[in-house]
Amino acid sequence: MAVADFVKAARESFRVGWKIESNWTDPVLFATYQVIRPLASLLIVAFIVIIGASVGATANSAFYTQYLAWLIVGNAFYAFVLQIMLGMAILVHVDRTRYEVLKNIYISPGTLHPYVMGRGLVSVLNGAVSVVLTLLFSVAIFNGLLHMNIPLNLLGVNLLMLIPAVILGIISLLAIGYMLCAVNIVSNRMEFILGDSVSGIFFLLGGVIFPIALLPSYVQSISNVLPITYLLNAVRESFGLLPTASYMSDLFYLALTTLVTLIIGITVFRLAERRAKKLGLFDRKSEY
Amino acid sequence: MTLRSLPIRAELLNNLRAAHARMWVRLRGANRDPISLVAEIGLPILAIGAYVILYRAIGFPSTAGAAVIIGGAMIAFWTNVLWNMSSQWFWEREQGNLEMYLIAPVSRMSILLGMALGGSLNTAIRALGIVLLGIFVFQVPFQLRDPFLVGVIFVLTLVALYALGMLFASLFMLYGREAWNTANLLQEPVYFLSGAYFPGFYGPIVPGAIQVAGSLIPMTIGLDAIRRLAIGGGDITSVWLHIIALIACTLILFPIARRALNYMESLGKKEGRLTLRWQ
Repeated sequence: MAVADFVKAARESFRVGWKIESNWTDPVLFATYQVIRPLASLLIVAFIVIIGASVGATANSAFYTQYLAWLIVGNAFYAFVLQIMLGMAILVHVDRTRYEVLKNIYISPGTLHPYVMGRGLVSVLNGAVSVVLTLLFSVAIFNGLLHMNIPLNLLGVNLLMLIPAVILGIISLLAIGYMLCAVNIVSNRMEFILGDSVSGIFFLLGGVIFPIALLPSYVQSISNVLPITYLLNAVRESFGLLPTASYMSDLFYLALTTLVTLIIGITVFRLAERRAKKLGLFDRKSEY
Repeated sequence: MTLRSLPIRAELLNNLRAAHARMWVRLRGANRDPISLVAEIGLPILAIGAYVILYRAIGFPSTAGAAVIIGGAMIAFWTNVLWNMSSQWFWEREQGNLEMYLIAPVSRMSILLGMALGGSLNTAIRALGIVLLGIFVFQVPFQLRDPFLVGVIFVLTLVALYALGMLFASLFMLYGREAWNTANLLQEPVYFLSGAYFPGFYGPIVPGAIQVAGSLIPMTIGLDAIRRLAIGGGDITSVWLHIIALIACTLILFPIARRALNYMESLGKKEGRLTLRWQ
């Protein structure tokens, strides 16, 4: 399939996906919905740190403001994980069982690949909206309202460091989303579990709310093969919250894990597609 | 020929049968798939684990971990209320079952009661699994002096919580895609407002406005009481206000849920939205 056709099909899929996800309400309410969930997650961890500071669980007060900045950035960018995993994990189920269009998409000239890609990009856009709004609200709440002087300067971000890391991170997350779609094509019992499971594993092992050095050593080796770990490291380095000296190595490992994830994602998807065609799974109804 | 209404006893029996039937479907449906059962116990442990490690990172005592485990177990009930109670009429309408419920000669509340009983039993199994697994993995201390009182508070919390679920179910009845988004929206904000992942909720550290907002959710009150009894080693004197508040929640929410259900059903009929799909 020519690249132009792929792009055209993905663009149309993006358009449909965006309408499905956003046109049930007006834009302001939609944006509110997009920001409340990640903001509430952030407030949970931020309050834990603030409670820690109030009861003096750790003596050094500078530790808390530094940690809060570290935590805000990690939590904000985790929105990409949540949006992509939850969005792509449910996609096949919704299109196959609820709207009953998966078979039609499969037999169209575009096939499933650009469709899944386009729908995944809608989740990326949702994630980006969440990230930006969460960062803005965090600064407004913690520095503006609560005067906590958190060392988080949104205008001082090194975009040359941030953009490559975010692009690679998004590609890796989309590749994992591809795997989730593949699993759902051949299974009809995992759609409500997969997204939460994968995002939960990334939340625990990806260094979102605490450094992975605090995990038991045998678990750290799993963290070290997850792209999210390097994505969050590189993002924090671009915000000046970690020493920038390790940026290039983080970016290298992010690129490497992204490449591996991409290869596995596409392979798994193709295998699932073949199996689904053989067993006639594209139009299976499975509501229960 | 005119239709005669059933005697009260027969009507009550009919409704109880309907509740039992709906409960049976829920129990059977949720427990026939072992993968889901394992996932529903294992998934909360991921978030609980992250918060326990965070507490250790900032130097909190291990009782904070115990509070998080209880909070994580109670969150399972909130998730059940949201996705299997509040959104249920939406799912039923999507699958074409809602009209069957509406033409059945039973009260809608008996269907909701069946859902609530089945859902709370299912979730209790999962919550017990979460607590046991959490204690095993994270080795946190508990001081349970009065298990009976904990049981009473737990049941009162569930009754109030599922009464709230019944109210939401009626409000969600006419939703299209809003149902999905609203249920999503009510997850993390409620985890925050209920203090599910905090070591304690009612105290000088959590701002008063958040405490007031959180107290509108029965889970917040029940969770705090259970923590006082199971972690703080408290007795009836430390939770009697919680008991009154939980009973008051039920007495307020249940009639409101009943009225809201009738209102939304009649509105749905007028606007022809009870059988709409794919909105």
